[in-house]
Formats: sequence, C-alpha cells, structure tokens
Amino acid sequence: MKDNYKQPLLVIEDSDEDFAALNRMIFKTDIPNSIYRCEDGEEALDFLYHEGEYSDRLLAPRPALIVLDLNLPGTDGREVLAALKKDRDLQMIPVIILSTSSNPKDVTACYRQGVSGYIVKPMDIKLLERLVKNFLHYWFKTVELPEINK
Amino acid sequence: MSAEVKSQNILESITDSDLDPDDREPIHVPNLIQPHGVLLAISIETERIVQVSMNTQEILSLEPEELLGQSLTEFLGEQQALAVKKCLSADFEHINPLPIELTAIESVLHFDGIVHRQAEIIVLELEPRLPTQKASFDNFYRFVQNPLKRLQKTENLEELCTTLAQEIKAVTEFDRVMVYRLDRDGAGSVIAEAVESELEPFLGLHYPATDIPKQAKYLYTLNLLRIIPDLKYEPVKLFPDLNPLSDRPLDLSMAVLRGISPCHIEYLHNMGVAATMCISLVKDGQLWGLIACHHNSPKKVDYQTRTICEFIGQIVASELTSKENSQDSDYKIKLKSIQSEFVASLSQTEDLEVGLTQNPQKLLDLVGAAGVALSFGSGITTFGNTPSKSAIKGLLPWLATQFDRDIIYETNGLAQSYPEASDYADVASGLMALLVSRVDKTFIIWFRPEVKQTVDWGGNPYKTAVRSDGTLRMSPRKSFAKWQEVVRENSLPWKACEVEAALELRSSIVGIVLRKADELALINKELSRSNVELDAFAYIASHDLKEPLRGIYNYSSFLIEDYGQILGSDGADKLNTLMRLAHRMEDLINSLLHYSRLGRAELLLKSVDLNNLLAGVLDVIKVSARDTQVEFKIPRPLPTIKGDRTQIEELLTNLISNGIKYNQKQQKTIEIGYLDPDDPIAIERGLEYSADNESKTVFYVRDNGIGIRERHLDSIFRIFKRLHGPKKYGGGTGAGLTIAQKIVERHGGEIWIESVYTRGSTFYFTLE
Repeated sequence: MKDNYKQPLLVIEDSDEDFAALNRMIFKTDIPNSIYRCEDGEEALDFLYHEGEYSDRLLAPRPALIVLDLNLPGTDGREVLAALKKDRDLQMIPVIILSTSSNPKDVTACYRQGVSGYIVKPMDIKLLERLVKNFLHYWFKTVELPEINK
Repeated sequence: MSAEVKSQNILESITDSDLDPDDREPIHVPNLIQPHGVLLAISIETERIVQVSMNTQEILSLEPEELLGQSLTEFLGEQQALAVKKCLSADFEHINPLPIELTAIESVLHFDGIVHRQAEIIVLELEPRLPTQKASFDNFYRFVQNPLKRLQKTENLEELCTTLAQEIKAVTEFDRVMVYRLDRDGAGSVIAEAVESELEPFLGLHYPATDIPKQAKYLYTLNLLRIIPDLKYEPVKLFPDLNPLSDRPLDLSMAVLRGISPCHIEYLHNMGVAATMCISLVKDGQLWGLIACHHNSPKKVDYQTRTICEFIGQIVASELTSKENSQDSDYKIKLKSIQSEFVASLSQTEDLEVGLTQNPQKLLDLVGAAGVALSFGSGITTFGNTPSKSAIKGLLPWLATQFDRDIIYETNGLAQSYPEASDYADVASGLMALLVSRVDKTFIIWFRPEVKQTVDWGGNPYKTAVRSDGTLRMSPRKSFAKWQEVVRENSLPWKACEVEAALELRSSIVGIVLRKADELALINKELSRSNVELDAFAYIASHDLKEPLRGIYNYSSFLIEDYGQILGSDGADKLNTLMRLAHRMEDLINSLLHYSRLGRAELLLKSVDLNNLLAGVLDVIKVSARDTQVEFKIPRPLPTIKGDRTQIEELLTNLISNGIKYNQKQQKTIEIGYLDPDDPIAIERGLEYSADNESKTVFYVRDNGIGIRERHLDSIFRIFKRLHGPKKYGGGTGAGLTIAQKIVERHGGEIWIESVYTRGSTFYFTLE
C-alpha cells in the first residue's frame, strides 16, 4: 500500500473544463499522488509507451491508475482501452472510465474490455466531489496495486 | 395401357357416369355393322377366324360357318395373310387400305382391306373395291394438290372453312357439305356450307349439345372419318354374338363398318338425309368440329376419296390455330397498345389501387368491358356500368369459389351459373374476374351488358326428350325447320385475346408488386442506416452538448465557492440562476435523448398482467407523492395484454403522475380502467380508425385535475410544449406526454385526450 502514493495518476481528458473540475476535486482529497494529463488518445499512448514527446521516461512515469474519457478527438478512448488491455504489461494498470455517456452499450463494452470501473460524469459539482473522493480512496487507500516492473 | 384398353375405359366411364340418357347408349359395341362390307375377327394367338359378320354369303359367297375356325392363311392365301399380320406391327394409317383379292367360284373379287387391332383380336374389314378407284399416289397427290393450294390462300377462319366445304364437296360430290363448329359446351353451329342450290341452306343454324352425345364425340376423335353409305341399310349381326375370346360384344370403336346408333339414324332420317360422311376436325386432341357431308340418296365413297378427305381435314385442323390467332388481329394490336400504356402508367404509381383507378376507361378498354369493379380487401370501387356495390359484395363469396386453381373466371351468361345475377343481367350478363391475390381476396371484375341475340336453331332444341314406353331414352327431334330463339341474359362472349389481356395485366401487377417489395426493402435498408446515424447523432449530441454545459455549471459553482464573499448575495443569485438554467438544459437534452432511444429500442413484447404492473407503478408514485392526498381508483381488474413491460410502466407512470402533478384539488383522484367494447367512445373510435373488425381495448387514466383548455388540446403531445411556467406544477421538460404517445404508437395504438377545464382530464389509449 505504501507504494500506491509514489506512482502518479494519469487523466486522459480532452475537455479543459472537465479536467479543471476533476483536478479541483482531487486536490480537495488527501491523496498526494501527482497527476499527469493527456488530451487525446494519441498522446496517452505515447505517454504509456514512451514514444514521441514522451520518449524520455522521466517525463512519463508509469501511472498507478488511469482515468479515461471515452469521447476523445482522434484516437478514441475505446481504442486506447483496447490497446492497453492487449498489452501484457500495461493491462495490469486499473482503468476507470469517466464519461458523459450513460449508454448501456458503452458501459457493457467497457467492462467487457476489462475496465475497473465506469463513472458517468455528473452535472452536480457536489456529486462529482463525492465520487472522486470515493474512487481515489478506494484505489489509493484501500486496495493493493500490482508491483511495478522496473 | 394400350390405346384400345384406354379408350374402352373412357367409353365405359362416360356410359356409366353420364346422366343424359342418350349419352348412356353404348354406341361403341352395337354388335351390328353396316352391310356394305364384311367384318372378320381373327385371334392374334391362333390366327384363326373367331367371329364374322352374317353377310359373308352376299359378299364373299361363303357361309359364316364355313369361315369360322379357318386360319388366316387358309382364307387369304399365304402372301395376303402375311401382309395382314405385318399390319399389326405397323401404323395402320400407312397400310390401310390393303388390297385384298379373293378367288370365288367364277371370278376374282377385289377388296379394300382395313385392318386394326382390338386387344387380342385382329379386326379385318373388307369392302368391295369400287370400279372408279383412284388408287395410286399420283392420283392422291393430284386430288389434294389443288384443294390444299386454295386452302392455304385463305386469310381467315371463315374463308378457310368455306373453302374447305367447297373442296370437300368437289372431291366427294355430296349434296351438302357443312363445317360444323362445336362451342365450349358442345353445342354446334354451321359456320360454312357448300350446298346444291335447290336445297335449303343450313348455314348459321345452331344445334344443341345433345345432338352429338359425349361418347360419340369421343369416338370422333379416335376415328377421324365415319361413313354411312345408305341410312336405310339392314344392319348385319356378328356371329357369334359374343366374342369367344373375351365373352363380350366386340368393341367396334375403330371399325369403319361399325353399326350406327339407331338414335343417330333416326336423327338423320328426320333430317331427310340418305347417306352421310363425317370428317373430324381435331385440334389439340379436342374435337373442334366436323365436316359433315349429307346426300339425299344412298352414296358410296371409295376408300381413296375418304383418305383424301381425311387428309384435307387434318391439314385444315392444323391450320385452325394460326387462323384463329390471326382473327381480330387489328383488335389484338389495339388491346396490346392499351395494355402497354396501362402497364406503363401503372408502374409509375406508388399505390396499386390508385394506379388501377387513375385511368378507368383504359381498364375497361383493356378487355372490352362496359364496367369494372375493383375489390381490394373490404372496399369496392366501381367504374362504368356495373351492378350496385351491395350486389357485387353479394356476388363475391360465390365468385371466390369459381377459381379452383385458375386465376381467371369468365362467363357470358352469368345468370345461368349464378341465378341472383338475373336482377342485374342488363349490366352484368358477362363477367370476367381476375384473381389478383388469393390471400388478400383482391379481384378485378369486368362486366358486359346483356345483348339480346336471335339464335336460329336447326329445329326446336327443347323438344328432344320424348318419353316412350316408360323409359327415358332420348328420341331425336322430328322437325329440323328453322326455329328462332331470342337468347337473354347473355353478353358477347369474351374473346381469347381479351382473356389473355386480363391475364397479362395480372402478371404486370405481380411484377409491380414484386418491384415495390424490392423498393420497400431498399427503403428499409436506408431507414435502418439513417436510424444508426440518428443513434450516433443523439449520442454525440448528448456528449458534446453536455460538455460545455457542465463547464458552465462547474465554473459557476467554482466562482461561488472561491469568490462568493466578494460577489455578495446578488452576484451569487445570478450565478445560481446560471446553474439552474444549465441544469434545465441538461434535463432537456436527457429527455430528447430518451425520446430518441425510445423510438428505436426493440420492443420486448410479452404477455403483461396490467394489474400487477399497475400495482408496481403506484407503489413508486405513492413514495414520491407521499405528501399529497391521492386516491387511486381501479373500478375493475385490468386485462392481460401483450406489450413491452418497461415501456408500459413508463406510459402509466407518466399519465398518472401528470394527473397528480396538474391537480390542485384537496382530494385528488386518479382512476385507471378500460372501456367496454360497446361503450360509445370505443365504438366511435373503432369506426373512425380501425379498418379491421377486431376492436381494440380502450384504456383510460382519468384525473380530477386542472383540465386543459380546448385550444391547447392539439399541442399537448408536442415535445417540450409546456402549458405552464417553469415554476408552476413542479416544472418539467414537457416531454412526458410525447414519450407516452411514442410508447402507444410503438405498440400500434393511439392516445387521445378528453378534458374539461378546471374539472379534469381523461387520457384514452389503445395498445397492440
């Protein structure tokens, strides 16, 4: 559990406003992990595979948890998810979907791909605060996360 | 089965089954022959004579007893016997007649031998050869060449038949040669005649079907030529009476000497005829007509001449089809052009019924009718002169049974098959009905008016039955004097080309229906594609529209949180309004999304017990409306219906919660029930909307709420249409009734409202 704080949280979210709201809520919790943000799927894959602008491993530490939006410009969240879950190494990282879509088709498809949770973005800021607190507590204070392969 | 056995069966079946007494006479086994030749029956197995005619002494100078038991070789000599036996393995037509010479006491006798096989018997008929025999192929060719040339030059059926009568008369020198044509029912008329000038012409006279009994007609198709040289002949018996091989009278179907039915002889006697010859005209295996030759004194015709006549008859028979086809060729061309125009315009219409009715005159001209009725499902459309719609409706059940496996039915004397049609015989004596679809009971029915026709009969056809000595035997009529009859309740007959035009119309219709089905499949594909697109659109809209909205909302709340103190209560109020509006916008988007999903989600149709379902709905509503006083009335248990449980739950929830929401009474009541089928409201709706007879159950949700003004009733189902300000009656997006309507429509039902302002509203709906 002790290591859980060392690894960062990766947020893949195209909307600046949504990210700002999420960021604000994370700061309100007592989780000290650093937060990295990618704005689209392409960037996220570069981050995770250390390619392109993230070829320097130091710039892109391996995240403990990924928060993924589904509707992204270019490479879509669904594609990022599929790529992650096919990679023997990356598939261990828990992925939480945070999306506007409450479409049951999306929910089912994501769980089938092996997501660790699916959260529908709420309108109400108070609700968002509660949700963020809940899932961060769960992942960083409750459960054991897998060892990092160095 | 050999040809003989088969003919035997057919003849017996005719004799047994036919009720017409004259048709019962077994004319193929008269056991008598005409005296102008001898008949010998020879066993195939033993080659010995087993039966002879009793006139052998007169013709062969041999007593019958002398002949019986003789072998063929003993009787004919080796060579001639061999020739007869050879006939058995060959086609008789090519061999007959066989020249036979017999040595008598003083001289050599010459005969035409005619051989045919009857089961296990060779039937040998010998006719003395006439001195003027034209017995070579050259002669034959010379005699048929000119007639054939003249026949080939004829242009139509009438000319062909007239020429035929003339040529046969020239070859045979009969006093009268007629071409006698049989109609569908077996009645006949003289359509061409060549007659000696001093005799009264029979041309145009009609004869009833009973004049030629059925089995006689059948024998005419087997034996293409029949001759009676002297009607006053003394018939000659066969000896012994029964054929020793079969123990039955010898079947003489194929025998040229076959004795004539006494009835037929009497008939011809009455006509004043002394000798006749008849040549069959057989078209497609059916007796089309006869070349009937009459002579007023006895007349022999040699075998060669008979063969010429038979040959000419066969040539003409083969010409009949083409001549009949070329008849009315101008009219046929006209029909074709109407047909192609009609089909062209028909194929451009979306709806078959509209296409058929947009040019009624063409639909009439297509078959030369005066009136037409289109029966599509329960509706009947008429054009031109037709019986009344109710009369046509009455006719339909009978008509539907007339098709059997056919798709067309036509008659030119409707009242004869359907007596009720007498009442409207003036417009509908002729009827032709086309079965477009057996399943949908779709008919096109054409009508033709009555045409009073004067038919000249060769004698009164209704005076043929004579009861004599207590039996029902038919007696041929005595008088052949022209007898006129006015035929009523008949129309002009439908021509073959008109029937064909109707049939072709049907295949065009079928083609169009199939093509429409293809187009429909294409549209369906298109629709499902655009549905997928709509789904994507709704999805994108929900995401992309909500994202900035959430931003507005969130940033407003950040502002209040971070700068609330600075902004003061006035600023905070405005920001709160901003947030409320953003919330409302989200509700609207969600309703829109829900509505769009509802239209496309697959219905899970199951049997649903409405009592059970309603109880669940009310439980939920009671929880959320626990502060208010609501009384729920359910006057009687609700039925079980077929529907999508989730959607019907939503429907009832929407209607019931509306009833509570828009209600200011202290004691709110909501009544949920259904109407009896004979309730005036149900009946009015049933008549107005449902085409089929089965009436749907009308459900209702009634409240004692605020009611709706008449002028608003039309708009209440419109999406986002609200009749009140956002703060009144708890607000809402204004999608509830639109969603209710959608659910009802998806269940194939209707929803409507009756309302009294300030007193309450009742929502009625049907499902299934």
